[in-house]
Amino acid sequence: MKNIQHKETEFIALTPKNTRYKIKNLFTDSLKINHKKLDIQIFDDENGFTYLLYKNKKYHAEIIEKNQNKYIVLINGVSYTFTIETPFSYQRKKYLDKQKPKNKVEVVQAPMPGKIIDVLVEPGAEVKTGEAVIILEAMKMQNEIVSPVDGKIVKVYVRQNDIVNKDDLFLEIAR
Amino acid sequence: MDINGKLYRKFLERNAAYEQQNGKDAAKKQHSKGKLTARERIELLFDAGTFDEIDAFTRTAPAESNFGKVVTAYGDGVIIGHGKIKGRTAFIYSQDFNVMGGSLGSVHASKIAKIQDMALKMGAPIIGIIDSGGARIQEGVASLAGYAGIFRRNVFSSGVIPQISVIMGPAAGGAVYSPSITDFVFMTNKTSHMFVTGPNVVKEVLNEDVSFDELGGAEVHMKKSGVANFVYEDEENTLRGVIKLLSYLPSNNMENPPAIEACDTNIEPAPQMLEIVPDDPNKPYDIKEVIRLLVDKDTFFEYAENYAQNIVVGFGRLKGRTIGIIANQPKVLAGTLDINSSTKAARFIRFCDSFNIPILTLEDVPGFLPGIDQEHNGIIRHGAKLLYAYADATVPKVTVILRKSYGGAYCVMNSKNLGGDFNFAWPTAEIAVMGPEGAVSILYRKELIESEDPAKLKKELAKRYREEIANPYVADEKGFIDEVIDPAVTRRKIIYAFEALENKHVTSPSRKHGNIPL
Amino acid sequence: MKIKSLMIANRGEIAIRICHTAKKMGIKTYGIKTSKEPNAYYLSFPDEIIDFSDDIEDIPEFLDVERLINAAKAHKIEAIHPGYGFLAESPYFANRCEEEKILFIGPSADIIHKMGNKTIAKQLAKKYNVPLLKGSQGNVKNPEEARKIAKSIGYPVILKAAAGGGGRGMRIVEKDDQLEKMFRLATSEAEKAFNDGSVFIEKYVRNPRHIEFQVFGDQHGNYIHLGERECSVQRKHQKLLEEAPSSALDEKLRTEMGEAAIRIAQSVKYYTAGTVEFLLDQDRNYYFMEMNTRIQVEHPVTELVTGLDLIELQILTALGEKLPIGQSDIKLTGWAIECRINAEDVQAGFSPFLGTIEKIQYPKSKNIRIDSGITDKSVVTPYFDSMVAKLIVTGEDREKAIANTFNALQKFWVKGIKTTIPFHKAVLSNEKFKKGDFNTSFIETEMESLFYQGGDDEMLGAFLATFDFLATLETEDSRTVDFEKGRNISPWVLNKRLK
Repeated sequence: MKNIQHKETEFIALTPKNTRYKIKNLFTDSLKINHKKLDIQIFDDENGFTYLLYKNKKYHAEIIEKNQNKYIVLINGVSYTFTIETPFSYQRKKYLDKQKPKNKVEVVQAPMPGKIIDVLVEPGAEVKTGEAVIILEAMKMQNEIVSPVDGKIVKVYVRQNDIVNKDDLFLEIAR
Repeated sequence: MDINGKLYRKFLERNAAYEQQNGKDAAKKQHSKGKLTARERIELLFDAGTFDEIDAFTRTAPAESNFGKVVTAYGDGVIIGHGKIKGRTAFIYSQDFNVMGGSLGSVHASKIAKIQDMALKMGAPIIGIIDSGGARIQEGVASLAGYAGIFRRNVFSSGVIPQISVIMGPAAGGAVYSPSITDFVFMTNKTSHMFVTGPNVVKEVLNEDVSFDELGGAEVHMKKSGVANFVYEDEENTLRGVIKLLSYLPSNNMENPPAIEACDTNIEPAPQMLEIVPDDPNKPYDIKEVIRLLVDKDTFFEYAENYAQNIVVGFGRLKGRTIGIIANQPKVLAGTLDINSSTKAARFIRFCDSFNIPILTLEDVPGFLPGIDQEHNGIIRHGAKLLYAYADATVPKVTVILRKSYGGAYCVMNSKNLGGDFNFAWPTAEIAVMGPEGAVSILYRKELIESEDPAKLKKELAKRYREEIANPYVADEKGFIDEVIDPAVTRRKIIYAFEALENKHVTSPSRKHGNIPL
Repeated sequence: MKIKSLMIANRGEIAIRICHTAKKMGIKTYGIKTSKEPNAYYLSFPDEIIDFSDDIEDIPEFLDVERLINAAKAHKIEAIHPGYGFLAESPYFANRCEEEKILFIGPSADIIHKMGNKTIAKQLAKKYNVPLLKGSQGNVKNPEEARKIAKSIGYPVILKAAAGGGGRGMRIVEKDDQLEKMFRLATSEAEKAFNDGSVFIEKYVRNPRHIEFQVFGDQHGNYIHLGERECSVQRKHQKLLEEAPSSALDEKLRTEMGEAAIRIAQSVKYYTAGTVEFLLDQDRNYYFMEMNTRIQVEHPVTELVTGLDLIELQILTALGEKLPIGQSDIKLTGWAIECRINAEDVQAGFSPFLGTIEKIQYPKSKNIRIDSGITDKSVVTPYFDSMVAKLIVTGEDREKAIANTFNALQKFWVKGIKTTIPFHKAVLSNEKFKKGDFNTSFIETEMESLFYQGGDDEMLGAFLATFDFLATLETEDSRTVDFEKGRNISPWVLNKRLK
């Protein structure tokens, strides 16, 4: 009763820099990554850690975020971002990337009046969607203001202890 | 039968022609735009080999005059049929952009109407995959009439069978109203658009430049308008989402929602619960962490994730059984109720109630969002929708108050007297007419003015207020709370509560329908 | 003099560290519980807990002088250890303790004040013949005066806030025409940050090393130094990795600088633990910068090369005891490296990474020491610093210490948050660092990547993500929907539903 046949399909793990890892025959002994046959094993140890065993070396591995087909994983503490694509969705992505208007600037505004408790980013910092950029105190609560996009901070308009009104400009993020 | 005879040959020829129409060239055209074909989408959605098409060979209605191109293709731009999704019957129509841009002519419309009628008669979900240029201009009023017929069927089916719209291309003009009546709208990011008037019209009338995506892309409808309830990055994942959603839903309003066999039966206490919710009422936390601990492992399926994030809404399972979850999100806007969150939750409650899905409410709400903006846009009217939806729902309703529960928001969020079946509270709950600071300023106004150290006095009074009034024990002793519970055992409590409520039935007064404050 | 009770006005690893020594010395400890982390790990170490969590004060708990003093008095506590940060270098707090006859573990308010004021400290250093950077005598009032001084000492120069620290109110001036603008910037920033706009000017040393000497004094005129710490691996004036000793010093320079550090201590009749900070330029000239009058975060590296308990010495000297050891007793053995493992995302510009530490696994070996204030399920909050642990590793020599530290980091696993572990690995595998050829500009100029990656790591990440994606799909698919169950409805419900 498979709706979408997985095992036979080749999957592509795609990085934001468009590095492709073509992965075939997962869950089998003849795993291939980029056409090379590899032996990677995955374990959960008794302490609750997950690690990969590859060429007799242990790699601490963790999935820190997943949303649909988008993954952020840690290998030995360094994060890597991937989207998991099928050959078709990869073609689609390539097509859409060509269509994409470049260098759009996204603004983050105050969702409500309040006081800036902390500005967590500086111009030039890379941020990910959902990453906290500003802590705003309003209604006696501290609210995390998160980045709506992946991008780079262009400009920060507010500082700690500033009092802001609704829709005041917080920062600009270039995608 | 003579398989070399004329009749059979005609049969084969027709099939071959249809095959070619749906063949490689058609696929190439769609694929080059990052889209799958109408047929491929169906194949991905249904269990392998279970889909059967009907009315494949219908012909386009002859045009009144020689206006526009004449098309000889079969099917009039839509594929209809039925099949099984995870073993359960579902009906579908899938518009074919390759045939006259998927535009809706009279034949096209009557095919959709036909499948809608069948789904309603059979009590099975209907899925519409929309990829259409809109009404077929050549056919004029006939195509408009077609839309109206579809809308009427949408409304008649509402609350009887689940209706799901999957937008995978343009949906413009009248075409958008069918999805908006259906229960759930899926969109595929970047390649689907919905708007009543397109960018060209906006440009002509208002002289504003706006792109398709900015005007009616999936992101806009997910984050700003709330029209799209589920958005995925590609079509394959979108269709996986539809399959997943259906697994939570009954086929019609007479059935109970399906259960899953291999379910999570663990009811052990979860001490982590105590760590997630901070004692300090002014500190935010992520309510989704609480939800994930309460429901069966990996079964929380969020609805309208990026719209009105101050309320979290979605499906989950308790020992395999579907429930609907409504939860305030202290992480966003302090978890206050505003216009968007009220309407989002209200619509979801209406769906659950229609389809016998019990409702779990997790409450941590400081009140309604204050502000001119909110008042002028009618928070009174919109907040009332949420209240109405809760009170009107007859499915089992369980509430857990985790922390704050103040004022009108207490009443609205499925309080005991609004019709909650079981109302639990954690020891950290603060139930009162308003927060300590506000209450103290009103009650001790004079004392505070006269005091030498008003800040200190205020603090002391606030402390007393918490101890004497704003706690769950007062409500418990008065019966507005059924039980104050240990947060660690919340999962067990709600599972047993819903089991006890399994056969709940309420007889409502007979009427045509209530007058919900729309 | 002996004391029986000690309040620890601090949290996290330093609170635990102080508890260990106090316990060893037979002193009863009192910890402070705050509403921001009522279940914190450090609270399981003190003998008694004083609860500050019940109502929410405006002043942060560890800065609330009167509340701390009142609590100490109420519990008849004899002494307060401030740890580092918070009130550790507050002359006001030290003074209030003196007034209330509570023993402050640290030098007197007067000493803290003198050393906290850069102008006074420099005057003292000059008097005691400790090399200083050329610069203004005290604060500079206006850009004209600044320009005159800058011309006499030569560009580049640096403007610094007199009340400053942590890089705020600091401006480097390369050329004459920048001076006026920078002067205005520095004063306004200092005004905002410290409520005091006064700045002074001094010669700017390009790419210096940051070397500090641990000193001790007692109240009987004895002074010792415990050698140096190398703190040049810094980012925005925040130390990230420290060593003892430093590869930049030989025995002769060590003795010379150590003696200079002791002269600074003598200048104020310093007692208890202190740290004298120097800049060392590329020609191995050293200049006095400032003296810190507290126990430092990085004190363990000195402990591991000297074999001494610095907290114990600090408490003893604060109590008025004589230093139990003299300069000749101090031998530096081996090499120690400390990595500050912080909950920070190195890949996102070291921004704090908040979240719950689900699991933590430390490397274990006799040459590894971990000072940490967290445990499994601890939460990294925005309210306090982001330190997860200090990993301190020793080796016979620098080369071995570096190798041991790298191996220890490989086995240091944290689940649930991102940490600076990959950064430390990158430092330790950097060739220039290994050669000992680095200075305070190391992170900006010498590191190609701020985090360490193995060649196969990204590929393994791709594998893990794809593996999980597929496994999730399989689980979804294997979840058979039992729709018959939904159709078996009790007649009680069904009959009514049918009405």
